[in-house]
Amino acid sequence: MTRVNRFNSPVPDHEYLADGDVLFYLRDAVTQLLDHQQEYTTFGLIRYFAEYFSSVKNSNHVLFREYNYIRATPHNRASFIRVFWRCYRQIGKSGDLLSTLEYRSLLQLLCPDFPLEMVQRAARIVQMEDVVDCLMSFSDFLYALQLHFYYPEFLNSMLLIYQDLLAGKSPNTVIVPTSTSIDLLRSVAAENISKEKQQQQQDGVDPSTLAQCIDALCDRFKHSHPPRSCMREVLGQTNKVYYYSFLMSLAKHESINQTIGALPSRAEFLIDPEMDQDLDKLIAQISVSPSSNSSGSAVGGLKEEHPPQEED
Amino acid sequence: MADKEKRRSGATPPGMPEGNATKSDSDREFLSRAGVGELLRGAILKMVEARSDDPIGFLADHFCNLASVSETGTAGYSDVDHFSDGPLSAGAQEQQHLNRALWHLRLAHHSQRSAFSNNVRVAYDLLNLTGPLRRSGEVPQGPDVSCTDSPTEGGGGGGGVKGGLYTQTLQCLCSEGGVPASTSAPLLQRLHCQDHEAVPYDIFRHGVLTCAVFSDYIRQAQRLYAEVCCPDEGPASRALCLSVLGTLKEALETSQGCEANVCDNSNMKVNSCLEGNVKALCYLEASAKISPYRLGQAMAGAQARGPGGNMDAKEFENAAAELFITRVKSAIKKNAGQVLTSQIYQQQIGA
Repeated sequence: MTRVNRFNSPVPDHEYLADGDVLFYLRDAVTQLLDHQQEYTTFGLIRYFAEYFSSVKNSNHVLFREYNYIRATPHNRASFIRVFWRCYRQIGKSGDLLSTLEYRSLLQLLCPDFPLEMVQRAARIVQMEDVVDCLMSFSDFLYALQLHFYYPEFLNSMLLIYQDLLAGKSPNTVIVPTSTSIDLLRSVAAENISKEKQQQQQDGVDPSTLAQCIDALCDRFKHSHPPRSCMREVLGQTNKVYYYSFLMSLAKHESINQTIGALPSRAEFLIDPEMDQDLDKLIAQISVSPSSNSSGSAVGGLKEEHPPQEED
Repeated sequence: MADKEKRRSGATPPGMPEGNATKSDSDREFLSRAGVGELLRGAILKMVEARSDDPIGFLADHFCNLASVSETGTAGYSDVDHFSDGPLSAGAQEQQHLNRALWHLRLAHHSQRSAFSNNVRVAYDLLNLTGPLRRSGEVPQGPDVSCTDSPTEGGGGGGGVKGGLYTQTLQCLCSEGGVPASTSAPLLQRLHCQDHEAVPYDIFRHGVLTCAVFSDYIRQAQRLYAEVCCPDEGPASRALCLSVLGTLKEALETSQGCEANVCDNSNMKVNSCLEGNVKALCYLEASAKISPYRLGQAMAGAQARGPGGNMDAKEFENAAAELFITRVKSAIKKNAGQVLTSQIYQQQIGA
């Protein structure tokens, strides 16, 4: 949302442009155009940009794109989770339980280079331990994946804080990570996973202390984070906080789910006859056209008189 | 397969420095040949002017509009199609213009004055089309069309927007702003113009701005009522509501008063800076009258005395609307009368 300055001095142009992710999408549109020159010039240039931005608006743009693209903006992340849900909802309906590797295969059908690490982190939230072979239900896995995929920077920071608190540091000395140290956080967090697992069984952390540290983190955090009120609510419900059960509660929290806006509530997770229709259309298009960059955007309900262009 | 993989990831293969140089050269050539720079520059300029809250949606609509114009031919505004299509198509085209004008008016909030003014201008020009004229800013851009901006004068092809279209615009603005038809009816009664009248830009802008502010005002009044009344206990007490409305009225009258003072002085040579200060003081005074403290005092006083009975949400809303509308009347009609008369006169003498 752009900031409205009520005293009549408008937000300067470059700030307005930088506020959203518009420049990112413009750049990507041109890159894609250059990579597929032949296809899109027969399409028509204006129609290409119209389809590109319509598909971004309708959240259909992330299908079959590379991982760096789908995680680049919050809108992309939410769209990808939603697309995954739309494509594989049938699994939830049939009640099948799948393993981490099987979920990863499904993810890779939609995003060829989706990393195993992200899938494992989501699985850990569901399973609360580091066992890769455990089977998970579709809804459990997807809500956990949503949390970790949408707020990765925040969860990494929080893990470090949690570990510091477990190690006995007082809240005042707990280092609040800034955005510049994200990469460092990732490697440290990975190292500490096994250590954490052992301690998980024995100790928890005092909820109010953790709440205090999370507050400090949110104050200075440049990335997005779950609403503070939701986190405080979850923390207020126990006497001792264990990291993965805390994350699982967050994953299941309806307000956080609504804030992200990608998935319906748990009650409605499997219900939607209109989705079934869209799903059939999607499957039909995937099976007809092998490279699906143009058909992905056409699913978004654009004008009927412009059917998706098939490749020659 | 490998080629497809490469294209999907959008990356060039490593280890080919010469290939990279040729690729970026040919990329640049392709882009300039296709006119991508012009296209995007135009889009970004429009986007920054409009300052929409949803830039992606804006771009999607912008390009879709452009695409439909260029795909149905640039003949949208040319002589040939306009005459051969007949009155039915003209009506449909009018509706299309109305929709697009409304879309423009929705982009920026009225508090963002410059962006809002830009959008009002664009909307006015869109609705002002009475003849087959090429308009600047609406020329479609594409690889095959050479772009020439043909500038038009301020009034466009016709002498103003048709009264009926203007009234329709105001109606849509109010209803989209969340104001029920019955509440906005008195306002529209005062603002509307007859079908045959030609509405000049100033009136148009004033009307649009008034409706935008009115929508905000009604929404705030609804929220005010929600604060004053507890839903479980049924409608709020009449006395309470009247006291709140009274405070609001007082504040509005104070601000009205200072406008009147300033207007009277405008014939004399008043230092404009001083004038600005006087105005500011008046508005501060008015807003002080509606401060939480004052409001609380009024409400506490009302509970002790005042008429009995309840006031429901609808009545409160209508009363608040009335406070607003009485202030609109005098400002506009005077100007409107003068300007419209001259417009009609001009049309009659065939100017």
